[in-house]
Amino acid sequence: MEYSQFLIIIFFSPLVNGVIKKLKAYMQGRVGAGVLQPYYDLLRLFKKGMVVSRVTSWIFAAAPFVVFTSAAAAALLVPVLTTQSVFTMMGDVIALIAVFALGRFFMALAGLDAGTAFGGEGSSREMTVAILVEPMMMLALFTAAITAGSTNIARIVDAQHAISSPSHLLAFAALMVAITAETGRVPVDNPDTHLELTMIHEGMILEYSGRYLALMEWAHYIKQMVLFTLAIDIFFPMGIARITGTVGLALSAGVYAGKMLGFCIVMAAVESTRAKVRFFQLPGILGGAFVLAFLSLVTHIMMGK
Amino acid sequence: MKNWLEVYSIVDFISVGLLLTAVTLNAFKSIESYVKAYTINSWLLACLVAAVAILMDEPHLYVAALLTAATKGALIPIILRKIIKQMRITHIIQPAISNAFSLAVSSLLVAVVYASLKTGITVTGFSRNVLQIAIAVILISLFIMITRKKALVMVMGLLFMENGLFLAGFSLTFGMPTIIELGVLFDVLMGVIILGIFAVQIRRTFASADLDNLTVLKG
Repeated sequence: MEYSQFLIIIFFSPLVNGVIKKLKAYMQGRVGAGVLQPYYDLLRLFKKGMVVSRVTSWIFAAAPFVVFTSAAAAALLVPVLTTQSVFTMMGDVIALIAVFALGRFFMALAGLDAGTAFGGEGSSREMTVAILVEPMMMLALFTAAITAGSTNIARIVDAQHAISSPSHLLAFAALMVAITAETGRVPVDNPDTHLELTMIHEGMILEYSGRYLALMEWAHYIKQMVLFTLAIDIFFPMGIARITGTVGLALSAGVYAGKMLGFCIVMAAVESTRAKVRFFQLPGILGGAFVLAFLSLVTHIMMGK
Repeated sequence: MKNWLEVYSIVDFISVGLLLTAVTLNAFKSIESYVKAYTINSWLLACLVAAVAILMDEPHLYVAALLTAATKGALIPIILRKIIKQMRITHIIQPAISNAFSLAVSSLLVAVVYASLKTGITVTGFSRNVLQIAIAVILISLFIMITRKKALVMVMGLLFMENGLFLAGFSLTFGMPTIIELGVLFDVLMGVIILGIFAVQIRRTFASADLDNLTVLKG
């Protein structure tokens, strides 16, 4: 049973996105679509036919599968309900970031492959954001890894209970900024629109339709939930099961659902109250967050906690 | 209360907060946010002094905390806002180098300070990390003073430096005798007023508080 905890991420990730959308609608005084809408969207897209441009190469067809598989592989690596899982021994935080980078690389290639202006624009922007976000995420996660003496995510979770030192607070702040950038949310990107010239993620997948688009979207949902789970695991691990009994897992599932809902509320609140910044102002924000991550690491080494 | 302070290492949290407010100066573009950062910094300083007073059973530190909060946390920001209003300055601060670069430099400064004071100093025993943070704050504010052009921003750098010096002295000696602290606070207050008037005068004479213009006075 504990081996199948990654299925929770894969099958509930559209729900998480639906909940965030619903919460956003609620905060903005709209009714909004139901929380199950992402599932209906995915089902509809899987049924529909595809339009593929004649100028595309095999990369265009391969990218959705690579992107989806890499997101699913990332889901294997994070502990969801319990830290006792064989799969978490397959890789650590570095592997997780590498798997994400693989997915991103193919998505950017696919954006360029169709040869449209929007795709290339999206790819170029995505890569610019990536070089700022990846090292920041690494540093923030390393701060937690030093505490545990291991880069394995399950061991990091085992080693701590809650944020108990200034360095972890700084690392958490940096990781939150990294997550908003990685999941394509305001202030970095706007997930709600296909029509703006400022889009990043939507720009890259503009040429996709039907099944491929469904895979791309699903992969994005999975990636989002993996990142949320990672932040929850590392910085608020209280309540996660350290054993594999049924009662423990059920309790852990309840706590996990509550924490995830809290995370969704925070995300929706940030999205509703902030405006998207101009792309050329992004390095300022992300650079600031990088300094936070750097300070967290330095402070951690200095204070020894 | 005492246990609670110790268990959650409140002193460390507050001192990192002090460092953070100093680092964020590098990212700000408006003078108003400088004043806000200074206010937060001063209140954190007062909180730190109060926390140590509880932690170490040193009642005379309550006075120091109150004085810090009253002058640096309330009076000086009010005076600064008044000066800003009087000068009618535009809210843009022009640093000599870009904000991102200046952030990078200040984080490097922190790393250098931490590396050179590796073991920490535990004279007073409430924390071994406060001195490094104090010196880092001093260096960062010095850096701000070097790289900003406007006279008033330099005054802000000076004020931050004074907070850092207070913190450094405090971490080594539990604070100086109250009478000396009173004197220092009074000095800072006078300094702000005089420098404020000075900045207003510079602006009136040269139609700008940009200190680069003063170089034309050279023979």
